[in-house]
Amino acid sequence: MTTHGYRLPSGGRIDRTRTIAFEFNGRRLSGHPGDTLASALMANGVDIIGRSFKYRRPRGLYGAGVEDPNSMVAVRDAYGYEPALRAGQVRLGDGMQAWSVRGWPSAVFDVGGGVQLVSGLLNAGFYYKTFKWPSWSWFEPWIRRATGFGCPQAVDENRKVHHRHATYDVLIVGGGPAGLATARSLIGSGLRVFLAEDQPQLGGSLNWEAALIDGQSGSAWAASMARTLAEDSHTTILTSTTVTGAYENDHFVLVQSFWDDRGVHTECLWKLRAHHVVLATGMIERPLLFPDNDRPGIMLSGTVRRMINEFGVAPARRMAIYTNNDSGYLTALAAYRAGMAIAAVVDTRSAEAAMHATLSKEMGIPCLFDAQIQATAGYRRLATITVRQVSAVTKIACDGLAVSGGFSPCVHLAGHRGSKPVYDPTCGAFVPGDVPERWHVVGGVKATLDLSATFADAGAVAHTIRAGRGGLGSAHSPRVDVLSLGTGAIPTQPSVGSSSRMWVDFQNDVKASDIELAAREGYVAIEHLKRYTTLGMGTDQGRTSNVVGLSLLAALTNRTLSEVGTTTFRPPYTAIRLGTIANARRGDLFKPRRLFPTHGVHENRSAVFEDFGWERPDWYRSNANEREAAVALEMAAVRNHVGVFDASSLGKIEVTGPDAAKFLSRFYVSNLMTLKPERVRYSVMLKEDGVIFDDGVVSCLSDNHFLASPTSGNAEAVAAWFERWRQTEWPTMQVAISPVTANWTSIALAGPLARALLARLQPDFDISNDAFPHMQIREGTVGGVSARVARISFTGELQFEVSVQARYASSLLSTVLTAEGDLEPRPVGLEAWLRLRLEKGYLHVGSDTNGRTTPLDIGMGGIVAKRQDDFIGKRSLKLAFATSSEREQLVGLRALDGSLEVGGRILSRGHTQVPCPTEGYVTSACFSPSVGESIGLALIQRGHTRDGEVVKVFCGGTPISCRISNPIFYDPTNQRLQA
Amino acid sequence: MILIRCPYCGELRTEDELTYGGEANIARPAETVSDEAWTDYLFMRTNPKGIHQEQWCCSAGCGQWFKVVRDTVSHRILDVWKFEEVSQAAEEVA
Repeated sequence: MTTHGYRLPSGGRIDRTRTIAFEFNGRRLSGHPGDTLASALMANGVDIIGRSFKYRRPRGLYGAGVEDPNSMVAVRDAYGYEPALRAGQVRLGDGMQAWSVRGWPSAVFDVGGGVQLVSGLLNAGFYYKTFKWPSWSWFEPWIRRATGFGCPQAVDENRKVHHRHATYDVLIVGGGPAGLATARSLIGSGLRVFLAEDQPQLGGSLNWEAALIDGQSGSAWAASMARTLAEDSHTTILTSTTVTGAYENDHFVLVQSFWDDRGVHTECLWKLRAHHVVLATGMIERPLLFPDNDRPGIMLSGTVRRMINEFGVAPARRMAIYTNNDSGYLTALAAYRAGMAIAAVVDTRSAEAAMHATLSKEMGIPCLFDAQIQATAGYRRLATITVRQVSAVTKIACDGLAVSGGFSPCVHLAGHRGSKPVYDPTCGAFVPGDVPERWHVVGGVKATLDLSATFADAGAVAHTIRAGRGGLGSAHSPRVDVLSLGTGAIPTQPSVGSSSRMWVDFQNDVKASDIELAAREGYVAIEHLKRYTTLGMGTDQGRTSNVVGLSLLAALTNRTLSEVGTTTFRPPYTAIRLGTIANARRGDLFKPRRLFPTHGVHENRSAVFEDFGWERPDWYRSNANEREAAVALEMAAVRNHVGVFDASSLGKIEVTGPDAAKFLSRFYVSNLMTLKPERVRYSVMLKEDGVIFDDGVVSCLSDNHFLASPTSGNAEAVAAWFERWRQTEWPTMQVAISPVTANWTSIALAGPLARALLARLQPDFDISNDAFPHMQIREGTVGGVSARVARISFTGELQFEVSVQARYASSLLSTVLTAEGDLEPRPVGLEAWLRLRLEKGYLHVGSDTNGRTTPLDIGMGGIVAKRQDDFIGKRSLKLAFATSSEREQLVGLRALDGSLEVGGRILSRGHTQVPCPTEGYVTSACFSPSVGESIGLALIQRGHTRDGEVVKVFCGGTPISCRISNPIFYDPTNQRLQA
Repeated sequence: MILIRCPYCGELRTEDELTYGGEANIARPAETVSDEAWTDYLFMRTNPKGIHQEQWCCSAGCGQWFKVVRDTVSHRILDVWKFEEVSQAAEEVA
């Protein structure tokens, strides 16, 4: 019968002229292009592909595709590695390596198989009850080691990934007869149609079922349909493409695989929208329950037909068929035509109910009616089945058993949209219930088993869709001559055999007895049953097991299947690789790097960059090789001569118009109506709940022209905040908001020699202390280009912030840094800058404030009290929470012993040891070279009333003593910045 | 994913091109109101299961804020209109 292993001498859609070499568990094997890993393993006579999850029972191929609960493999092809695939999902590739994911030392000989001897300890919910004594933790490590499917591997991924977005008029899910006929009938309608098929070729079941359509074989008809559709400019066909999820507003996620002879080299994730959706996803066969129904050699009946007709493989040498519906006879016929020996057809029904029984008799196939399998035997592969009829028990030798318990429609995608499947008792299947608007259900997915009915249905659906388009195009009605699959099958319960030997969910080793136990213990809601027994929770998502389990529960609890219902369907339909979702967003491409226009100048000074949204110099190696030394030199430069700091990321928002001052005043705690041209004012901005959102200076350039400078981190958020209020609350205000942060570069010159350095740039305006005092701004020409110069200070020293158009940034910075003579300007990084401001007690929003801090807590109560008019958040400052005497208020801290640390908790009064209650924490801290002490800022309860008090602060693992002080540690009288 | 056609630029935008702005028509009270009225304004929202009037911004598009009537159960958008306009659908719901 077979020439080599189980490969049939002819037939199938494989390319027998070429051979592909692959490895399975280290064995060198071969197959043909067109094979899946499943069919190739079967052709090579590999019976055991893996071991089961709990009991380590040997398992072979059960289904031909994603529905297979058994054939879990790890696969490495030329382009990457995947730890847990079903063998039927994998197209065979040259040089491919595959491994069983379970079984040690091997899947065929697994020492873990001994666990079957203690299987009584491992029933449903066992981890709640069996391993309680002396402690679950004694057993947990062993049990955890024994579980899981496959291991991830850190391998170089050569697989390419890309994403596409698309919108179509019609999405057809499934390229079987229903999908193809619908697509064909939409040709000429003018609608853009997208057809997705998860298999590499169109046709679905036509590729393995014996059917005559318009006088051609099913697969030939499918091929001609594929050609016709490919020629239509309005139709897009994607094969090897799985629709993994349906989301609201008919947004779909699809994964398209591109593969060659060596594996899957590219995956494309589609995000697709469709106006009409045609669900033509077909159905999946379900098994029958009988004792030891999981032995290698036992598989779904349709899988046998598919193996024979699509892949040219005989699943067994001597086949028996066990069925409760007419499709089992089609399997017998297919096996007979392939020249296989047929042991028997075992039919649970009576002879009268079986419509194809005479056909089997004509072929000489023995048929046993009113029969059930009461036992099977054979450890590594099925050897015999024992069949019980009313008057006889028959033992039948066979090495393969095809099982059919009816069909389960693939209703998943409708379920993703919240459509509850409903049980149709006439065909024994859950079919889509109320589907979303403009969804159409065709063919097997609504349990239509008859091909001509499917085609009629497809024509009607296409007509409905076309009707919205003036009815263009015409229906296509193929003539069909095919053996009927019959009328479906009601799930049947076994009446012989022990339920503790009947497997419902093969992947998770859930037995009929587990479901009985769960029902006895009251887990009768289907979602409870699922979680208690793990039924349907494996990677196969219970595609074969769910309805079997449901019907068993229904029988046990005397309910109908409608009453029991199904569990919830959630995306994805099949697993998606995280790398495919991530696309190129990893490594350097994870997020765009934002570089200053001056980045090159900083690099030349060996800046050490940190990512603060922008890449900013933290410190400069050109100043010293070690960070602390460099930071000290940078701070000293600012205090003693002059430092240069790139403040380009500082937010810049131009606010213009007659109402600009009034508009800005509504955001800031300070009144900006009184801000005169060339003047600058510092203030904070609140959200409506009174909590500080941002701070910064506002400059008045002219009566109708202001420049707000929010913090770097909030530059975009503040601009959006302004815009939102302008549009939604104050639309009549005459004001325009222009975020210009990236248009300008700001270089701060800070230190006693800052004015001398600025003078080198030859500004065309007077920069003397009298003509240009602190907190003012000038527009003019600096270094030959137009500039804005603000005399403001974040360091406590004399400071000028020079802003020029970004294109002049590098030349300005280079010019400043290379100033000749005795000025010796030094570049200053962010760390030194922040320590300098800490010495001066200047606030850093986000560090020194938190999600509760109000302006009252940072000493701005006086400014708030002076405001007559309203501003955002003002009213909240009168609420009890803001005026409470227990508020955490911002104060300075000086360490009396030890060093302050950010995050150090302030111990409550009277406590010297931890653990104890605390009353605040350190928000900023550093050693101050100017003061010669470890200093910090802290939010402390009632802090403003506690000046001079010594508190204990938990720092470095021990409480240290600190004195509460004025937060301005350096130059408290502001002599230096006025100089 | 929610789909809304921006009434300003006319484009059909997806949720990730938009910014949600919470419930619409929350009037900002004067600062003279009671603590209760002010905290109601700050925190209390109708949060219905069903028809909801809300604010959205075409943030990745034209940057304009507008109003929407959305069914929070089905995400069906019943109406979209500009701030200065009046919505027929919103009035019928109210």
